[in-house]
Amino acid sequence: MDIKDVPCPFCGCLCDDVKIQIEDNRITGVENCCTLGNAKFLSKSRLQHPIMRKDGKWVEVSYEEAIDETARILSDAVRPLLYGWSGTVGEAQVVGVHLAEEIGALIDSTTSVCHNPSILAIQEVGHPGCTLGQVKNRADLVIYWGCNPIEAHPRHMSRYTTYADGYFIDNTATDRKVIVVDIRRSDGAKVADEFIQVKPGGDYLVLSALRAMVRGKSDVVPDSVAGVKKVQLQRVADLMMKAKFGAVFFGLGVTMSRGKYKNVRNAIELVSELNRKTKFTISAMRGHFNVYGFNEVLTWMAGYPFAVDFSRGIAFYNPGETSVIDLLEKKEPDACLVVASDPGAHFPKSTIEHIAAIPTVQIDPCVNATTALCQVQIPVAITGIESAGTAYRMDGVPIRMKKVLETDFPTDQEILERIVTRIREMRADG
Amino acid sequence: MAEILLKNAYVIDPISGINGEVMDIAISGGKIVEEVSSKPEVIDCQGCLTLPGGIDSHTHISGTKVNFGRYMSPEDMRAGRTAKKGPMHITSGYSVPTTYGNSYRYSALGYTTLVEGAVAPLEARHTHEEFKFTPLQDSCANILFDGNWGMLRALEEGDIKRAAAIIAWTLNAVKGFAIKLTNPGGTEAWGFGKNVSCINEKIPTFDLTPAEIIKGAIRANELLHLPHSVHLHCNNLGTPGNFTCTIGTFGHVPDLNDKRQTLYATHVQFHSYGGTGWSDFCSKSEPVANMVNFRPQIVIDMGQVMFGRTTTMTADGPMEFNLYRLHHDKWSNHDVELETGSGIIPVNYRKKNLVNSIMWAIGLELALLVKNPWQCLLTTDNPNGAPFIKYPEIIALLMSKRYRDAEFAMIHQDTEKRVPLPAIDRELDWHDIAVMTRAGQARALGITDLGKGYLMPGAEADIAIYPIKTDEIDPSAEYEKIIQGFARTEYTIKRGRVVSRRGDAIIDGENTTFWVKPKVPAAYDIQHDPTFMELFERNYSVRMSNYPVQEEYLHRNHCIETETDL
Amino acid sequence: MNVIITFRNHENPFIPIEAEMITPDAFLEEKNEICVAVGNRSYPLSEVADFSIVGEASSVDDIEVLIRGDTSRVKRVGEYMSGGAITIEGDIGMHCGNFMSGGRIEILGSADGWLGREMKGGEIICHGDAGDYCASGYRGGRRGMRGGSVEVFGSVGDFACEHIAGGEVLIHGNTGDFACAEMKGGTVTILGDTSRVCANMSAGTCYVYGSAVEMIPTFEKKGTVNHDGVLFHHFRGDVANRGNGDLYTVHFTYLQ
Repeated sequence: MDIKDVPCPFCGCLCDDVKIQIEDNRITGVENCCTLGNAKFLSKSRLQHPIMRKDGKWVEVSYEEAIDETARILSDAVRPLLYGWSGTVGEAQVVGVHLAEEIGALIDSTTSVCHNPSILAIQEVGHPGCTLGQVKNRADLVIYWGCNPIEAHPRHMSRYTTYADGYFIDNTATDRKVIVVDIRRSDGAKVADEFIQVKPGGDYLVLSALRAMVRGKSDVVPDSVAGVKKVQLQRVADLMMKAKFGAVFFGLGVTMSRGKYKNVRNAIELVSELNRKTKFTISAMRGHFNVYGFNEVLTWMAGYPFAVDFSRGIAFYNPGETSVIDLLEKKEPDACLVVASDPGAHFPKSTIEHIAAIPTVQIDPCVNATTALCQVQIPVAITGIESAGTAYRMDGVPIRMKKVLETDFPTDQEILERIVTRIREMRADG
Repeated sequence: MAEILLKNAYVIDPISGINGEVMDIAISGGKIVEEVSSKPEVIDCQGCLTLPGGIDSHTHISGTKVNFGRYMSPEDMRAGRTAKKGPMHITSGYSVPTTYGNSYRYSALGYTTLVEGAVAPLEARHTHEEFKFTPLQDSCANILFDGNWGMLRALEEGDIKRAAAIIAWTLNAVKGFAIKLTNPGGTEAWGFGKNVSCINEKIPTFDLTPAEIIKGAIRANELLHLPHSVHLHCNNLGTPGNFTCTIGTFGHVPDLNDKRQTLYATHVQFHSYGGTGWSDFCSKSEPVANMVNFRPQIVIDMGQVMFGRTTTMTADGPMEFNLYRLHHDKWSNHDVELETGSGIIPVNYRKKNLVNSIMWAIGLELALLVKNPWQCLLTTDNPNGAPFIKYPEIIALLMSKRYRDAEFAMIHQDTEKRVPLPAIDRELDWHDIAVMTRAGQARALGITDLGKGYLMPGAEADIAIYPIKTDEIDPSAEYEKIIQGFARTEYTIKRGRVVSRRGDAIIDGENTTFWVKPKVPAAYDIQHDPTFMELFERNYSVRMSNYPVQEEYLHRNHCIETETDL
Repeated sequence: MNVIITFRNHENPFIPIEAEMITPDAFLEEKNEICVAVGNRSYPLSEVADFSIVGEASSVDDIEVLIRGDTSRVKRVGEYMSGGAITIEGDIGMHCGNFMSGGRIEILGSADGWLGREMKGGEIICHGDAGDYCASGYRGGRRGMRGGSVEVFGSVGDFACEHIAGGEVLIHGNTGDFACAEMKGGTVTILGDTSRVCANMSAGTCYVYGSAVEMIPTFEKKGTVNHDGVLFHHFRGDVANRGNGDLYTVHFTYLQ
């Protein structure tokens, strides 16, 4: 059996044209997908039962026992942290927010370690953006700044930019100019009409210089800025102003290099300035397929996109204080629930040590690096393959993820709802 | 479902022709009934003012743009935080509250039905998701068609029926309620950073003028027999001298429907400006109100501005960019492929600012100069003119000349030369207010048949009971009491249940989403039309099969099927 | 009135204590029970600290609060205080003196992040170092510190005086990156070195007695001036932001 138009539960591009072949409730073929998505669809390894550490050893336990233990851990905690969320759907994230509110927890998502600075910047100056189809149909200048779509978002260029057909673009190969900005010559640089190599940590300074040039104040700019010659900057500024529709995409090279959100802010302010001359938009290259969805859900429920502390009975937001890495570095959390992400594989060593030192529960279909840090792991259906729900693409377009395989595993949402119910029962019992 | 008997309610129900009668209201199964059978819960209203539940026919409470207003504004979020209380979840936000914040605060004001004023179809799923968490009000989504390529191309070809078919397919697909046009043509032009400045100017990428888009959409709307009329945000919002554009637009509107208006023009305050620039900026509420008085086929809402901080958000992307250049504060923009645009900026309307003072006066003037209250409904275009929590103050301003004068004395002193407000003595009465906050909305939206906006047997039991005894208050002098009385109901009843009591929500609630499904003959089913499918497949960034909002997003819902003339 | 609060060692020293009620203003009204939050639990102050009150006060300015013990994780002390004095013997946690409008806070140790955030008046003296966002604003980029004074004898972290719109700040040591970013007003004096100072400033005045490294490349050079007996390079900017602020620095380098 073939199923068409399946959205891919891998990256923020959320390509929704994947074709899946299924035989005997197994995926036997995947079309239209990139290698990253392919691997996700075809992955076979998974955890079969809930597991719990008893006397230092993993033992298989029932869902009921695992949920009971999770509820006890979270109820007892004075500073519980609920982390992850980007690999599940909005319907589960909503329950997570209600859980956090119920127990006075901190809740944060993988946003905290990727586009956290983009959000802080947007909160200072706003965000001139658009949906990806707008870029596809109109953009005659595309700028990739501090990101490598070829590796991280392999179909971004073919679906939305460089190689995509566009309504107002006669010949996408010749009519779209591409500028790549990076600290080293990446694969993307090879297809660029203009490559700007910036000294590490120098993005902010280059952006300031471009802003001044767009304002017609080139005279203040020194001959060289962070490794980039003034003549090249002027050429690029002119290209930008001449474009009919320019689209900037930026990634972790901008958000996670020195200065973080100030870099993003400067890029946004450059784009805002360019809108006085022509049309320009800027967009973050979001990672997980539903990392943006968590930001949306937490915002409509609590008012903030990530890093919210419910401990005082209201929503308090202050990244740097209420964000996951800062909390773990200060050893604040005394219990942790990890849902649909793998901090064990990505976090700094000191923070991983703290996750291991406190009671930690993971809800995830697979054994991963975080498993080693946990007391309990509860396996669930694979979101976007075995369970449906809402995800938000990197540009904010909501897409319904499909269920293409039958499964007996419960969904993230079901497990979270059972934890909330169990906590309420425990509280009612005193 | 439980039964309730409201005793001694002082009822104003304009649709039923009741203007201040003390009566009992029986409620059973979520509806108003002739009588209750068993032992009902009795609520003694003690002669308090009892009105049909409030209906906001134009507000921004759910969806991509609203949520982005929250997302980009932690300073606004922290300005309105409340803790968990009983069944109430935490809330955040002042001008753009969280979904629960909107729902609880609207409920405290007695509102039971809300129309989200602008939803891009591509992102409608998001709006429906937020509706679920706005549990104490029924919801409707106005769907943006101002830059819809499919519709524009059909209009370009002069094929109204095809335009109607595309509208029908889209409304059905995204579970929408009505056709919204925001700066028609302008949002498409904004795709390349341009705008349109006149309703008779060709838009850059289609052989059409805004006037042609508006007229075409109106005709398509009536071909589909939609409950609501076209809901229009006119071109040139916020620019000095734009009243000519507004009047010109109104002049194009035929009278095509005997049950309701043919055009609903929203936040007309923002479209009633005179002058050639900001230096000679002035009110043109008089000619605009006169035009409305002469044309019963038009209903407007105020879009009242109130002083203080708020957040402006609209699909009118180019207008928001102009505002950004004036304020130089933060600016967000979000263009939606093949459909529309949007923009957001925070603003602070200040009494010391002449332009802001004139804007404040214009909204009130429209409400006072339009003779028939059914033709001018009370809104702030929440949160654009002000957050909806200001409604009680607006009611008091409309009911009290003395209050208006007191406020007028506080605003920019040059306002007097630019506006007619000081010369207007009219004071609206309780009945006028009931029309302008619920009955008029129900009729304009075309939802009276669904039991909305009145209190006779058969109606939905959506009721607001205010701690106001009309015979004990002189609205003209005691405007403070009006403000207090409308700020917090004694009881808000939604579908037969008390959902809010003295300002606090007391149950979780579950709302109903109203959407339309025009019955289109097979020849006009655009779903399988090769040209439309090709437009979709080539230009959208999502697959056509993934575009429609699935049933899963509707929860409780009411589908309004319409017969069409296709 | 003298109030002495001695925080006891707590069981889990890593859990922060939020103590926004500890202000001279709170002790003026006797009926106030001072509560603190430890994580998601709320307790009377007596649960975590010993405290004694000696004497009486007729106005807030008669009240002096002395805080002792392990206070490095005690947050929001002195929030919204309008007068009187608080002395902290050791280190203090985040958000000390948030929104304060009057009075005096003296920290003998070091302060964690957001010292004097959005303060409007009064005086903060910190004898040790201060963390990130000293004398800054809140998320969302509205005006930061608006009035009063902050003096730090040690060094400060990143984003010091971000969004500052008024008041005076004196830092004896060095700053981290992006000091005075988005500056809109006020006066900041840095006796040590700083990095990417005054980025995107629109108004206000900043003096750097040490070296400004990685100067923002969009400031206009206005020549040299003598101030306080020292020769400064005068810059005007940030031009990228249509800014009109004044930056004076003794030394500077660009990242070229």
